[in-house]
Amino acid sequence: MALAAEAVARNPALVARDIHKAFGSVEVLKGVSLTAQEGDVIAMLGASGSGKSTFLRCINLLEIPNSGEVLVGGELIAMTKNRRGETVPADSKQVDRIRSRLGMVFQSFNLWSHMTVLQNVIEAPIHVLKKSRAEVLEVAHATLEKVGLADRADYYPAHLSGGQQQRAAIARALAMEPDVMLFDEPTSALDPELVGEVLRVMRQLADEGRTMIVVTHEIGFAREVSSDVIFLHEGRIEVQGPPDAMFGNPDSERFRQFLASNLTT
Amino acid sequence: MDTQVIIDSFPALLDGLWLTVEITVYALLIGFCLATAVAMMRVSRNILLRAPVIAYIFFFRGTPLLVQIFLIYYGSGQFRAELTQIGLWHLFREPYFCALLTLVLNTGAYSAEIFRGAIQAVPHGEVEAARACGMSGWLLYRRIILPKAMRLALPAYSNEVIQLFQSTSLVSIITLMDLTGVARTIVARTFDVYEIYITAGLLYLAVTYGVLWVFRLVEHRLSGHLREREDPAAAVRDALRARA
Amino acid sequence: MFDLKGYGWMLWEGLAMTLTVGACALLLAVVMGLLGAWGKLARNPAARLAASTYTTVIRGIPELLLLLIVFYGTPTLLQKLAETMGHDIRVDFNAFTAGVMTLGFIYGAFATEVFRGAFLAVPRGQVEAAYACGMSRALAFRRVMLPQIWRFALPGLGNVWMVLIKATALVSVIQLDDLMRKSFIAMGVTKLPFDFFFVAAMMYLGITAVSMIGQQQIERWANRGVQRA
Repeated sequence: MALAAEAVARNPALVARDIHKAFGSVEVLKGVSLTAQEGDVIAMLGASGSGKSTFLRCINLLEIPNSGEVLVGGELIAMTKNRRGETVPADSKQVDRIRSRLGMVFQSFNLWSHMTVLQNVIEAPIHVLKKSRAEVLEVAHATLEKVGLADRADYYPAHLSGGQQQRAAIARALAMEPDVMLFDEPTSALDPELVGEVLRVMRQLADEGRTMIVVTHEIGFAREVSSDVIFLHEGRIEVQGPPDAMFGNPDSERFRQFLASNLTT
Repeated sequence: MDTQVIIDSFPALLDGLWLTVEITVYALLIGFCLATAVAMMRVSRNILLRAPVIAYIFFFRGTPLLVQIFLIYYGSGQFRAELTQIGLWHLFREPYFCALLTLVLNTGAYSAEIFRGAIQAVPHGEVEAARACGMSGWLLYRRIILPKAMRLALPAYSNEVIQLFQSTSLVSIITLMDLTGVARTIVARTFDVYEIYITAGLLYLAVTYGVLWVFRLVEHRLSGHLREREDPAAAVRDALRARA
Repeated sequence: MFDLKGYGWMLWEGLAMTLTVGACALLLAVVMGLLGAWGKLARNPAARLAASTYTTVIRGIPELLLLLIVFYGTPTLLQKLAETMGHDIRVDFNAFTAGVMTLGFIYGAFATEVFRGAFLAVPRGQVEAAYACGMSRALAFRRVMLPQIWRFALPGLGNVWMVLIKATALVSVIQLDDLMRKSFIAMGVTKLPFDFFFVAAMMYLGITAVSMIGQQQIERWANRGVQRA
């Protein structure tokens, strides 16, 4: 796969350029950029309200950025202005297609509660990617095996623990065989004793060489697993770099304070 | 109590019950499709889609069913020439057609309001997750929103089914021989008010609770593992709220 | 908009009758509802059985059929009773009374659930506090429960009213001169069925619209001081 990717293009897996987003008069993102090469695991840290979740949601257009560009595998998501002068996607078909290449894992899991775990996992590959059911089932079972939920395939989400639900949600995203995985605070809604099982799965995915953008509060995960760390402060990138440099000798006073307050909790 | 009268008229009453059930089922099937479309228009962000269905729902939920039946059955007579011209008069001349049309439009409005509430109650996160997988438009509705919404709507919708089933008794006023119509005819002939009306009432009662029981089973199967059992008093309150 | 050929006044008369029947039936429904709720919450099993039979039967039988049973059945029943006692009498049942009674009984069943919910919504501790002060059950009911249940019951009763006022159209079937029947008569004379029924529909819609506004006021009133909690 790595060979094929090299042969085709040198395009980064994901590029976001100068993303701005305001809710009403509140400017949440004041120009944030990011480039993820294939295999990168980028951890985004920041206090709540720093705009890190909004940034992630702008990447797959769950929030429409006011300005800025997003390129997935070198393909630019076309934007245009509507009659009221707001920025909107030019082609909703393209948005759907791009989204199907980005796997999203939400803080609150957002599993479809009327479907079993297996049904959740096979839903989009069959109906969005139009793959054959047999093929999808094979992938789905392998994926569930990987996240350790093979024996929970026929359970409904309501019958699972939070950690199991989040692993099921990861399986759902994985089954789309996405180019990039987006994690929006995947462990923040979990009881402390359930965080570990989810982080283990995420670490495993990173080890497989998957491209991942992870918005998180788990400093340990960022330090040990990520290839790059971005620290957001009030809608801007305060500091970024490889974890060794960032955690070893942070040259940002704000990041130092952030680490201090988060490590003690 | 004259049991012989009941035995003699029972076959005729069953015939009437058959028409009652038939017209209920037809109205439900067509009304369900209408209501689904109307509910989707009702939650649309496009005002041109939303405005007409708001007016439609308000009219049919805000006026008595009897007025609606008369408006269509007798009212169409005022436009006989026009209806003949477009070849629809032979339909509007038939009480059966008018009754069915009214019931469809009526249950369409009430059910649409139920479905609207259910669509809006589908958890936002689940819709977002579907969008994040690349779903949108009709696919999103068909695979995620509607299946979820229909489960949420089921308790209120079962009340609507019961309401509609009982409302069909009004079609006897425009000469249809449904259960109430047959009962009225027999009473007019024999004057056995109690025997006949109470037998008819018991038949309605039996079907009503039979249908409720089936709905309870379906509900239990579809969502028993998701939420706790409902409170029967709440069902009645929902029924009232749905009718108001 | 519509030329009602001078028959518009008939509709106004009919509207007045509709509102009168509706108001009287609502009053009866409230009384029946309080009785029914008391029955449902009673310790006495017979009272509970009676109350639940009442709501079950009413919910399972169409309003029109119940109306026919009350209107045509009650005189027959009274006459038969008189016959067995050796009297030969002729009972005529007034359409207004029959209409109000039937609608009151039917919507009493709905009001029962409304009041039952309202009684249960009054915090149990307050009633216990009343007993602790030495109040009897009856006194606690009158002084502590009754003043409070209205807040919980009024929005529900607003719903009962809105359904009930539409159901009054049925009394035209037993020849009571309500809005429906007046429209029907006017239609017979003028041969303008659509115009008359449409205007009648608009009048019902007017009642619904006004009731909805009233309902909002009631809900605002009922929620006062509660929303902060």
